[in-house]
Amino acid sequence: MVTGTYEPTIIGFLCNWCAYQGADLAGTSRMEYPPNVRPVRVMCTGRIDPTFILKAFAEGADGVLVGGCHPGDCHYLEGNYKAIRRITMVRRMLEQFGIEPERFRLEWVSASEGAKWAKIVEEMTEQVRDLGPLQWWENVREA
Amino acid sequence: MEEPKIGVFICHCGTNIAGTVDIDEVREFAAGLPGVVSARDYKFTCSEPGQLQIKEDVKNLGLNRVVVAACSPRMHEITFRKAVAEVGLNPYLLQIANIREQDSWVHKNGSTEKAKALIRAAVQRANLLESLERREVPVTPSVLVVGGGIAGIQAALNIANANHKVYLVEREPSIGGRMIQLDKTFPTLDCSSCILTPKMAAVGSHPNIELMTYSEVEDVSGYIGNFKVKVRKKPRYVDSELCTGCGICIEKCPWKTDSEFDMGLGKRKAVYTPFPQAVPNVPVIDPDVCVYFEKGTCRACEKFCPPGAIAWDQKEETVELEVGAIIVATGYDLLDPSPLTQYGYKRLDNVITSLEFERMCSATGPTGGELVLKDGSAPQSVAIIHCVGSRDKNYCEYCSRVCCMYALKYSHLIGEKTDADVYQLYIDMRCYGKGFEEFYKRLSDEGVNFVRGKVAQVTDQVAGEEEQGKLVVVTEDTLLGRMLRIPVDMVILCPAMVARADADEVARRFLINRGADGFFLERHPKLEPVATASDGVFVVGCAQGPKDIPDTVAQASAGAAEALSLIDRGTVEIEAATAVVDEEMCSGCKICLALCPYNAITFDEEKKLANVNDILCKGCGVCVAACPSAAITGRHFTDKQIFAEIDGLLADVKPPLVAV
Amino acid sequence: MVRQIINPYKEAVDIVKEMGGEALRLCYQCGLCTGACPWNVLKSFPVRKLMHEAQLGLLDFEAEDMWACVTCGNCVQQCPRGVEIIDVMRAMRRTIVALGVGPVPDSLRVTMKNLAGTGNPWGEPTEKRADWAQGLNVKPFSNGAQMLYFPCCTTAYDASVSRIGKATATVLQKVGASFGILGSKEACCGESARKAGDEELFQRLVQENTAAFAESGASTMVVSSPHCYYTFMNEYPIAQNGLQVLHSTQYLAGLLREGKLKFSKEVKKRVAYHDPCYLGRHSGVYDEPREVLSSIPGVELIELPNNRENSICCGGGGGNVWMETKPGERLAEVRAEQALDVGADVLALACPYCMLMFEGCLTQDVLDRLELRDITELVAEAM
Repeated sequence: MVTGTYEPTIIGFLCNWCAYQGADLAGTSRMEYPPNVRPVRVMCTGRIDPTFILKAFAEGADGVLVGGCHPGDCHYLEGNYKAIRRITMVRRMLEQFGIEPERFRLEWVSASEGAKWAKIVEEMTEQVRDLGPLQWWENVREA
Repeated sequence: MEEPKIGVFICHCGTNIAGTVDIDEVREFAAGLPGVVSARDYKFTCSEPGQLQIKEDVKNLGLNRVVVAACSPRMHEITFRKAVAEVGLNPYLLQIANIREQDSWVHKNGSTEKAKALIRAAVQRANLLESLERREVPVTPSVLVVGGGIAGIQAALNIANANHKVYLVEREPSIGGRMIQLDKTFPTLDCSSCILTPKMAAVGSHPNIELMTYSEVEDVSGYIGNFKVKVRKKPRYVDSELCTGCGICIEKCPWKTDSEFDMGLGKRKAVYTPFPQAVPNVPVIDPDVCVYFEKGTCRACEKFCPPGAIAWDQKEETVELEVGAIIVATGYDLLDPSPLTQYGYKRLDNVITSLEFERMCSATGPTGGELVLKDGSAPQSVAIIHCVGSRDKNYCEYCSRVCCMYALKYSHLIGEKTDADVYQLYIDMRCYGKGFEEFYKRLSDEGVNFVRGKVAQVTDQVAGEEEQGKLVVVTEDTLLGRMLRIPVDMVILCPAMVARADADEVARRFLINRGADGFFLERHPKLEPVATASDGVFVVGCAQGPKDIPDTVAQASAGAAEALSLIDRGTVEIEAATAVVDEEMCSGCKICLALCPYNAITFDEEKKLANVNDILCKGCGVCVAACPSAAITGRHFTDKQIFAEIDGLLADVKPPLVAV
Repeated sequence: MVRQIINPYKEAVDIVKEMGGEALRLCYQCGLCTGACPWNVLKSFPVRKLMHEAQLGLLDFEAEDMWACVTCGNCVQQCPRGVEIIDVMRAMRRTIVALGVGPVPDSLRVTMKNLAGTGNPWGEPTEKRADWAQGLNVKPFSNGAQMLYFPCCTTAYDASVSRIGKATATVLQKVGASFGILGSKEACCGESARKAGDEELFQRLVQENTAAFAESGASTMVVSSPHCYYTFMNEYPIAQNGLQVLHSTQYLAGLLREGKLKFSKEVKKRVAYHDPCYLGRHSGVYDEPREVLSSIPGVELIELPNNRENSICCGGGGGNVWMETKPGERLAEVRAEQALDVGADVLALACPYCMLMFEGCLTQDVLDRLELRDITELVAEAM
């Protein structure tokens, strides 16, 4: 990373079957994108416990990106639908913590959408970079 | 737990990783991580000597955890798991850090830093990995083949000839697929029927093949080696056991409709076989056309059927099958060119598609093989338009791969049947296969006119005497740099080959992925061309992408070989990374029960506890995340392991919350 | 002579390549653009060749071809590789204007000079901009009005086209709409300037107009010209500024659906509608004009052979309305012939440029058989 300027760190939770493969495809196709997202592979977005997301923010992540299969395409039939419900809750929780909504994203990326993955990472990195480092303890204090 | 002794192995992957990631820096960094006793690098860790390096270290240094920083785990996790297992380490004690696909290949700057973070995360996770035992379960030694085109036929015969049971399910009343609609095949010009009907007959009579035509797969459950499949058999209203295939019912039936097999160019009866050589040679009654179903009258077929095979009371039935492997060979559709209004398909007479032309050329087709215009006369001139919807951002971006060659074939067939002048309107001639270039040369010699340009318009607005009554093909000849108006009698469009209209439904049913082009996605474009994201489900033929007959047959045999190697093995290892309930902690709330998509969780009424059946469990982890008492552990993806990974990824970032 | 790839205008070519962007690199020379170009009915205009010359940096900036494109969008709509051909054409012209690497047609030069000096291509005084509305009791836009009417310079100044503005104002008054005009406070939308390559001038006009619109406080604007419509919608920041822009046919169709457009007379004519490129292909408005026309009592709406997305340009787009077109090379003639062939009495138009082109290009003999009417005129007549 370029030193001297602020570069955010984003934790990505990627499902094994769609988003992780999509990100792999971006690699195989040599699509360049910023290195700010650090991926964690899970088998399904349905496995993502809200505490994973909180943990990432607590450990210093400036953003969290969850990538799963498109609705209807879940390898485990409907894990992503369950993720949607949980993530709605997480969103509300993050809001209460004073974390800007742009710092958390849920995206559907299929195994063939390498370009989409690269674009999402680029977009989100830029957005989070603009927001600056996460200072949620201050937001909480203010609230 | 024993003290972890971790070995980190960093792969250069030639220059694929080493080109952007500073290997020495990363290796030194890895060596300093807690628990790491050795960090080494190698040019190609997946190679024989690379694997040996790992094995030696496990033996000599007593490593009990291995981290390989290389390509995606989806690429070589299995390779490395096997390697460590060979020296006695449990394969689940291996962790991969993906520093290629998701690092060195995609970042110009910062890939070294990211590699360090990924390796640190992998090491921290490795600290907490636990051994898991994989269970072996027996494989059902039979195969389901879906689709009875040339791909399905070839795969079914290969498997059946190896003495295994095959269920071949075909939606239409007969097998044969697209290939049986074709007249001649390029570049050898052998007759499609002549080479395919013997294979169809072989399928029909093979003792190991259970042919289920006019049937569709409704539901698939289970897992590799042990699938349960529900097949819906539509009623034929003709008893297959009694029917002798004499065809009298067809002859006597007074009701007609457009023949789907002849692309609407000819008619078929309400009781019909799509074509004379149908397998099975048992007609079906189309209830939408047959007047009996509307008014209860007619019954001509019944009156004349010698063995009394008409069975009005037949009902739809669902059959359950058990198979070890599934081969999906559902084929392709042809793009409907009518939205490309500039070509006038369906608006202008004598603008036809390639499949319509095939039917017209076929001796069994609606014109008995005569090439005729709407008015019954023979064309004096024919234009063949390539790339209709193919290589076109507005329709299909890909090349359909067969059009150039069949278009050349058409020139030859037109020449055989008429004296017409033929114009090939192409963008690029793609003649890449065996014998293709030679065929191109042969057709050039036969006197075909080649015009390089994508046709802008086919019109009946004439601009002069010589265009009177003709279709005018308007195009730039890009080699001449001049606009041409070519008056012709017939225009043949070569539409793109597209994924089946119901491909998304089929993909969902078999849990396979689709590419951006809509076709089914193979697991690896080069090394696993017929495997899919679903273990035990293979995809072959044009369902995977446009291809010609030889490629389809080769792929079908590949799919058969994959299925055979699976069922011949007799057993299959099932996922060990399943969920497990901690009886001490389970409160018996039953939340997990409804969540499991595989009904793998049952409730023990006596103990008031949830129980996971680890043969049915596929390890998605949905119950793990949902359990309010944290009583369910997702093996190999435990909360602790994932937390450790997150910690590792962020250790270089200052945490904002400082514990007070 | 073998022309080598040595580039006399490297800088100019680089600008073109950059503006043509990735899409230009994607061109695979299939020639569909040449075939789709309306000019090929009348003359040779090698679009594909220009694209290849741009790819290789072998453009001849002195060629007449630089100025032929009418920006009708028929090629872009169909291009299999998604090349933004109009952008490439605009880039070539912009390069010529900015760097002087080739000649600008005299007539166009005059137009641009007028535009720069007076804010309209006609070089007419600004004070006269509201003259078309004299005697119609059209009020200057005030804060109380609901709607701003923007007539287009051509409607405002051209004697034969001003009837579009008059008809529109009449219809608006008859339906009781509360509207006004900006008169001398508005300037040309600048579309011609941009298509003719004068980017600097275009940006100036954008600024002037945007400020004038903002100052007026209008929330809805009705325009007569599809060129103004497209430019406001796509190249102005107004849409973001909360100003709703409607073409007159969209506004009329809206009234029709609300039951507010009532007719009292029959117009017994066979009417063929000519889809303007910038309303149809560029803006996707095909149905509203037809809806309005077919609602007029007595009108029998017939379709031209090239209709909707396959419409043929009148020949006026891309700044060509300001340039000389040789007889026998006039697209308006082709279009009028089509209308007569399908038995139309009236060619219904929805664009001031189209009106100007047809008026200027057709012979009296044709005009005697084929009436040119703006849709608003037909509506006004039937009310």
